[in-house]
Amino acid sequence: MTRKKILGSHVKRLLSGVSAHGGRHLTEVETDLLQTERLLLEAVERLTTSFMAIHQSVEARQRSIDLLLSGGTPSAEDSARLTAMSGEVQQHVNSAITSMQFQDMTSQLIDRTLKRVTGLRDFLGTLGAHGDDLMPESGSDEIVERLGKVSMALAVQSLELRSVLRKSVNQQHLDSGDIELF
Amino acid sequence: MAKTILAVDDSSSLRQMVAFSLKAAGYNVIEAVDGQDGLDKARQQAVDLVLTDQNMPRMDGLQLIKLLRGLPDYAKTPILMLTTESSDEMKQKGRAAGANGWLVKPFDPQRLIEVVKKVIG
Repeated sequence: MTRKKILGSHVKRLLSGVSAHGGRHLTEVETDLLQTERLLLEAVERLTTSFMAIHQSVEARQRSIDLLLSGGTPSAEDSARLTAMSGEVQQHVNSAITSMQFQDMTSQLIDRTLKRVTGLRDFLGTLGAHGDDLMPESGSDEIVERLGKVSMALAVQSLELRSVLRKSVNQQHLDSGDIELF
Repeated sequence: MAKTILAVDDSSSLRQMVAFSLKAAGYNVIEAVDGQDGLDKARQQAVDLVLTDQNMPRMDGLQLIKLLRGLPDYAKTPILMLTTESSDEMKQKGRAAGANGWLVKPFDPQRLIEVVKKVIG
């Protein structure tokens, strides 16, 4: 292979490697951000519903208490409703507790995104640092050698980055998860 | 006498929600911020059940379980994982480490209490 072809092949490999690496990570960032947005949206909707329901139950209970305090006699229906209210409130509180766990999941997704962004910045930093070492007057042998080094450094960085990015949150909704006893 | 549960999670809000739910059901709850803290607290005070997260700084849940199982006092203490991890591979690792059960987050307080009651009464 001629020197020119070797150089061309190194440049091509480097550019396609950078493009594939960047594209892959940005796609994952996009996926994680969309998942985070979905979870946040669902959490806000569910929490709003729970708090409104708790507010309504507490108001209804207060009306019954006011009636009792004013010397009124609650009907059998009022008494039954009052008894059922504790259970209703507890159910809404439980639902709110499940929804509030969005924070645990979204913080893991955001942490993963941050690691990825930091890794990409380091990756681009390595590319820039190797580029700085190249002089306009460098010969093609030297350029080929430098390109080989930068490709190797980027491949190592890419592997290291991948090793810290295992996905631990696959939940797409805030429904309570599976339980398995061994 | 109320049974004591050690809740290990690096998320303070998660610990609060677990403690709130279990205390309402009559259990004592000790909180630990990660696996290392959980191990230290388990050594200081005997607990009836350990409920641990998986992904935590300093020491993860699987490592905590392995170390607890090496302590004579915790050889048979029920240990449940409460984590966002839901893959079969991770569940198998948990089982191999000595976990007695796997609960995937988010948890529903009522279902959590039912499981705890089933395991320690």
